[in-house]
Order: sequence, then structure tokens, then C-alpha cells
Amino acid sequence: MGTTNEKILSLRNVTMDYGGKRVLNGVNLEVSKGQIIGYIGPNGAGKSTTVKIMLGLIDNYRGEVEIFGQDIASGDPSYKRKIGYVPENAEAYDNLTASEYLIFTAELYGMNRAHAEDKATKLMKEFELGDVIHTRLSSFSKGMKQKVLIISSLLHDPDLLFLDEPLSGLDANSMMVIQEILLQLAAQGKTIFYSSHIMDLVEKISNRIVLLVKGEIVADGSFKELQEMSEEGTLAEIFNQLTGFTEHKNRAEKFVSIVQEEQAHA
Amino acid sequence: MRNFQSLRFLALFKKMFLKFGIDYEAMQKILRVKLTMDERRVPTIFNDSRKKKDGNQFLKSLWIYGLYGLMLIPFIVLGDSYIFQMSIVFGMIMFILMTSMISDFSSVLLDVRDKNILQTKPIRGKTISAAKIVHVMIYMSFITGAFVTIPLLVSLFRHGIVFMFIFLAELLLVMLFVVVVTSLLYLFVLRFFDGERLKDIINYVQILLSIGVVIGYQLLIRSFGFVDLDITYTFSWWHLFIPPIWYGAPFELLLAHNVTNYTIIFTILAVCIPVLAIYCYARLMPSFERNLEKLMSDTRKRKKKGNRLDEMWARITCRRNEERVFFRFAALMMKQEREFKLKVYPALGMSLVFPFVFIFSELRERTFADISTGNMFLFIYFCNLMIPNIVHMLKFSGSYKGSWLFKATPIQQMSTAYSGTLKAFLVKLYVPILLVLSVVFTWIFTVRILPDLVAVLLAGIGQTLVTYKLINDEEYPFSKSFEFTQDAGGAKMLLLSLVTGVFVVGHLIATPFNYGIYVYIVLLLAVVLIGWRMVFPSKGSIGFARGSGS
Repeated sequence: MGTTNEKILSLRNVTMDYGGKRVLNGVNLEVSKGQIIGYIGPNGAGKSTTVKIMLGLIDNYRGEVEIFGQDIASGDPSYKRKIGYVPENAEAYDNLTASEYLIFTAELYGMNRAHAEDKATKLMKEFELGDVIHTRLSSFSKGMKQKVLIISSLLHDPDLLFLDEPLSGLDANSMMVIQEILLQLAAQGKTIFYSSHIMDLVEKISNRIVLLVKGEIVADGSFKELQEMSEEGTLAEIFNQLTGFTEHKNRAEKFVSIVQEEQAHA
Repeated sequence: MRNFQSLRFLALFKKMFLKFGIDYEAMQKILRVKLTMDERRVPTIFNDSRKKKDGNQFLKSLWIYGLYGLMLIPFIVLGDSYIFQMSIVFGMIMFILMTSMISDFSSVLLDVRDKNILQTKPIRGKTISAAKIVHVMIYMSFITGAFVTIPLLVSLFRHGIVFMFIFLAELLLVMLFVVVVTSLLYLFVLRFFDGERLKDIINYVQILLSIGVVIGYQLLIRSFGFVDLDITYTFSWWHLFIPPIWYGAPFELLLAHNVTNYTIIFTILAVCIPVLAIYCYARLMPSFERNLEKLMSDTRKRKKKGNRLDEMWARITCRRNEERVFFRFAALMMKQEREFKLKVYPALGMSLVFPFVFIFSELRERTFADISTGNMFLFIYFCNLMIPNIVHMLKFSGSYKGSWLFKATPIQQMSTAYSGTLKAFLVKLYVPILLVLSVVFTWIFTVRILPDLVAVLLAGIGQTLVTYKLINDEEYPFSKSFEFTQDAGGAKMLLLSLVTGVFVVGHLIATPFNYGIYVYIVLLLAVVLIGWRMVFPSKGSIGFARGSGS
């Protein structure tokens, strides 16, 4: 994959406090064009917060965030024009139909209406959702809704993609399609920021992995480099080691023994 | 989870349930969980109340039903045509039971979680169905009890003990009838339509109930005045299809000894139809459960709905493209979001009805010709009273979490979001209501009031702007949870309603002068145009100017 040195985004010493608790603690990160970043970390490590800061959903952080060479704190929202975002939990105005929702988001990104509708229809068909394009999102299954949100993040042909657990609810075939789409997009020079808990996937598609623990980056590099850092084999094991979690066996044993406890006969 | 009184009462029938092969213990456990969950829900009839109160909000709302029950008394006490009076009484009872059944207990009948949670457990389907029906019946008994206890006692004193017993027996039949018929109605709708359509139907019934309750209150106040029951009943064949009449007939048959073919047929229908309906229900329950799937996922092919009218209005009323996008979005939300409709449409219905309520009460003292020459048309300002409430509601949405979109997308000017939304509100909700009222008012008061109506419209737009400025400032529309609707503070809302009064006073001052109303219109127009510019400045945003520096 061709990684040039053109800088797409950079975080400098980003710190964030939330209700007296430090969520991010001096995060430094530079991302170049064409990279697929696997952004991983245990629950509550601050992954979503980082993404939300970069998208402008949170603005009371400290430090500097530059995207496409522009400081996002300036208040000019036009840097978002070339960003796509898939939120976790598939949150959307789900009383709208798929087509209404897609056109609406595309228009907010500044696309022309007719063009958006045409493109949305074509993309929906590619995901085998052509029949339900005029059906309300509220009646969609998790996987279908996820596909619509993925389309909505790509309709305006963004240069930078933020994906938060983008494959949840999708079947194995759709997952493979999306993975392939991401790889091809990266090959075209798009930058993808991908956070997930599914380590196999992250291992497979990322060319750079960033591990966040308690608001700090503890590892940053390719999968190979991460392997060299620790003695473990798979990313999941490296993840366990770097997050200092080694007692999974003990915990499981205890859990199983409780499951098997006999009912005391009265 | 506590021990419920109703479950203790139910235990009396334990043997009966066991005889039907129902696992009583399991049913009782299901019911206890369900009743506990209900304590955390707010019924429609009480939808003004704040959320997060303790105890069963439903039980606390019962006094409203008690109040409405008073409406039945004149029909029981006055007149002496049993079949006519009691048909009206049962008509009202059925209306109340049916609407509250649909609006508040649909969730019980249509609970799709039951499928995943209960049917995967080792419990027989029969037990689950029984739990469902018993659950609904518990509430129906509460409503019926609250609604008819006082009328029932009145009937005891007025018509004697036999009358009361017939009344009581029929109430039981009616309850069964309503519960089962509603279930069958759902069955029918789900069989031929899809889940979305059913949800729409339920939504509209909820809206109807909210309007019905307020209008019913008006009728209640006036009902003693215009009840005139010296009507004799004559039979027509189509009466066979009106259930309330079935339940009026037994009184005629058993008390007035009016033994005719039709009273006998009605009485037979009154008893047999509910029994038959239960039989059908038991038979059709499995297919009902199957069709419930449609509520969970609905993936049928659908055609595109054309909304060229919205398109046209968006072009006419909005100049910036971003604003048009929000106009269309808001128009769709107002049309399609059920929770929003439930909160807002009753207010619309009332603003459509109230101006007439006042004119009608005036009609009883003055002649039509007298009214049509006066200033009574100013009652049309009542429809402006709804504006603060609805503009406030534009902040909220059931799927408010989707509003991350507004922050993640490059919206150049935040103010276009609201100016588009407010324009959509005016075009889609306010103007249609005003238009209907205007047509009728022009018919009553002749074309001389046309300039006044223009002034009303401009006042409405002005009030929308004032309300927005005072309560919605700076947030995106449809981006907060409905849980926070009460946060605005009643005093502020009341104050904003008073703004309508200011416009009425302005109107009254302008009227006596020659061409005064035209001056007033020009003045309003200027205020609205300048005000809109000031509230929604159309120059490049501040952020944009700053951004170019970096």
C-alpha cells in the first residue's frame, strides 16, 4: 500500500477531562495519506472520545488537532467536507426512509440533491438493499442499518474516514465486502481511522495499529512492530499483554465454577 | 418488585386457570414483571405530566376517567327511552375503552420482546397468551371501574337494583368485546398491511384520544344544558351493525318488557358476539404471533413518495441551499416522526376546534347575523396560542441521537438549520390550520375580514420568531430527548402565550381607524421581515471568517 508522507491529521498533546476524570492524557499522533489506522484499546480507554474530538463533536479539549493542515478549533467547519463518519450503535434519524436519510446527509456535506439520490440508489443496490430504499430505517435490522450508515459516510467521496465498530451486525459475506472496500479505498489514497474490538479484523486490514490504554498511547506501529515489542503471537494476545490483562484464565475458571454450583435443596 | 393487589385478587381464580391447562405460577410471575414495568411508563391521557415519578402513573391518572364518567349521568338519569339512552352510554364507554386500549395497551398486545424473552423459555404458548390477555384485562377493569362506578351508583338509585345488575353484566361483556376486538383488529391490519402502517394507526388513535379528551371536557361542561331525550327509538336494519345499540336493548327487553324481534336479536348479539370473538381470538392467536414478526423487521419493497409540494415551498421560502435542506428535513420529521406527532398534533387539533367552541357558545345567546357583523372573528387568534408549544417541541426528537450528524458535517451556518425548520413549521403545520379556519371564518364573517386574516398570519409568523428567539436559541432542531420537554418552565411558556394577546391588542387598536388595519399589516410585515433578518443573519458565518486566518 502506497503510503506517502502527506500529513492528513495530527494530534498534539491532546488532553480531555470529563466530569473531573481524565479521559485523554496527552495523545500525540500523526497520520499520513493512505494509511489504515487500527485504533484499539479496552472499553473506556478514550477511543470514541478521540474520534469525537476530531469530528468536532467535542470542543472543550486541550492541545492541538490539525486535519488537512487546518486547526479544527478555528470554528470553520469546512474541513469536515472531506470526512466520513460511521458512529457506533448505528444512531440515525430512523423515522426517515433510507433514501431520505442518505440524501439529507449528502446534502449536509454539500452534495447536489439529484446526484446524491442517484449515487445513493446505486450504492444501496450494490449492498442488495435496492428494495428497501424507500422503507423507514426504524424497521431495518442492525446489519441493514449499518450498511446504510456506511453508505452515508462514503456518498460524498471523503478523503478521511472515521469508522467506529463499522462491521457490527454484518454477516460474514458483507464483512468481507466492506473489508475489501476499505482496502481499495486506502489504495486510492484515502485515509481510514478504524476503531474496533474485533482484533482479527484489525490485524488483517490495518497497516498501522495504535493502542490506547487509559487515555495514553502505549503502542504505535505496524502489526510486525507490535509483535516484536512483545513475545505474543496474535494481536489479541498482544492486546492482553500490553493492557496488562493476564488473568483471563483465572477469571473464566471462577465463572465456570459458579455456573456449576449446585442448587441448595430446601 | 412488590406484591400487587391485582395479583392477589387473581389468585382467587387459580383453579379456573389450572383447569384450562395454564401454568398459573408462571403466568403470575410474568404478570408481576409486566406490572412492574408498567409502573415505569406514562399513559397518553396524562401526557402532560413529568416523567420519572414513582408508582404506576396509570393508576394515578384514573381520576380523569372518573371525571369523564360523570358525563354518563345525564343520559342515565334523564328521559325514559332505555334503548336510546343506554346505547349512548355504551357508545361512550366503548369509545373510552377502545381508544385507551389502543393508545396505552397496544404495547402490551404488540410486545415483540415477548417473543424473544418468553417463548424461548420452557413455558407453554397458552400460558403466555393468557398472561397477555389477563394483563390487559387488569387495566381494563381499572379503567372501567373508574369510569362507571359513580354512574353505576346513580343508576342504582334511579332505576333500582335489577338495572344495576344488567349494567354490570353488560360491562363485563363490553370489556371482553373491546379487548378481543382490538386484538382482532391488529390481527387484521398485520395480516394485510405491515408493521409501519399499524404503528401509524396506533399513533393516530393516540392523537385522537388526546383531542377527544379535551373536546369531551368541553362537552361535559355543556352536556347538562343540551341533553334532550324525548326521542322515541325506531328500528332500522343497519342498527344491527352498531354494537352500542346491542347493549342498550337488554334494558328495554328486561325492564320495559318491550319484547320485540329487534330487542331480542340485539340482546343475543350482545351476549354471543364477545363469546364468539374470544373463540376466534384463541384460534387466531398463533397466526397473530407469527405476524408480529412484521413489527420487528419490515423489509418490503416500497415506492418513492413524491413530495413536489414540499420541494416547491422549499424553493419559494428559502434562499440558501443549506436552509432548503433543513426545510425538507424538518418537513419529513414533522410528517413522519410518531413521537413528535403525538406531542404536537393534539395541539393542532385543538387550535382548529377552539375558535369554533367559543363562537358556538356565543351562538346560543345571539343570532348568527348579529355575530357575523361584530369582532368575534378575533377568536381566530386562538390558533396562534399553539405556536409557543410547538416551536418548543421542534427541539426534540425520538431519535435525537442521530443529531451527531449536524456536528460531523460541514454546516456553514448553524442558523440556517432553524430558519429552515421554522419555515417548514409555518408552511406545513401553521398555515394549513389557519387556512381551514380562514375559509370557515370568511364564510361566517364575509370577505370583509380578509385583511384581518392577513394580520393574523403575520402575527403568527412574528410569534414564531419571538418564541424561537426566547427558548430555542442556538441549538439544532430535533436534537434533544423528549424527556427534557418540561425543562422550559411553565412560566416562560405562559408568558410566550401572552404574546398572542399583545398581537390581539394591536389588532384591536388598529381596527377602529380608517385603513388602520392596513397600516397594522404593513407594520407587522416590516417587523417580521426585519426581525427574521436579525435573528437569522445571512452573511457569512463568524467561524468562516476566523477559519480563513489559520
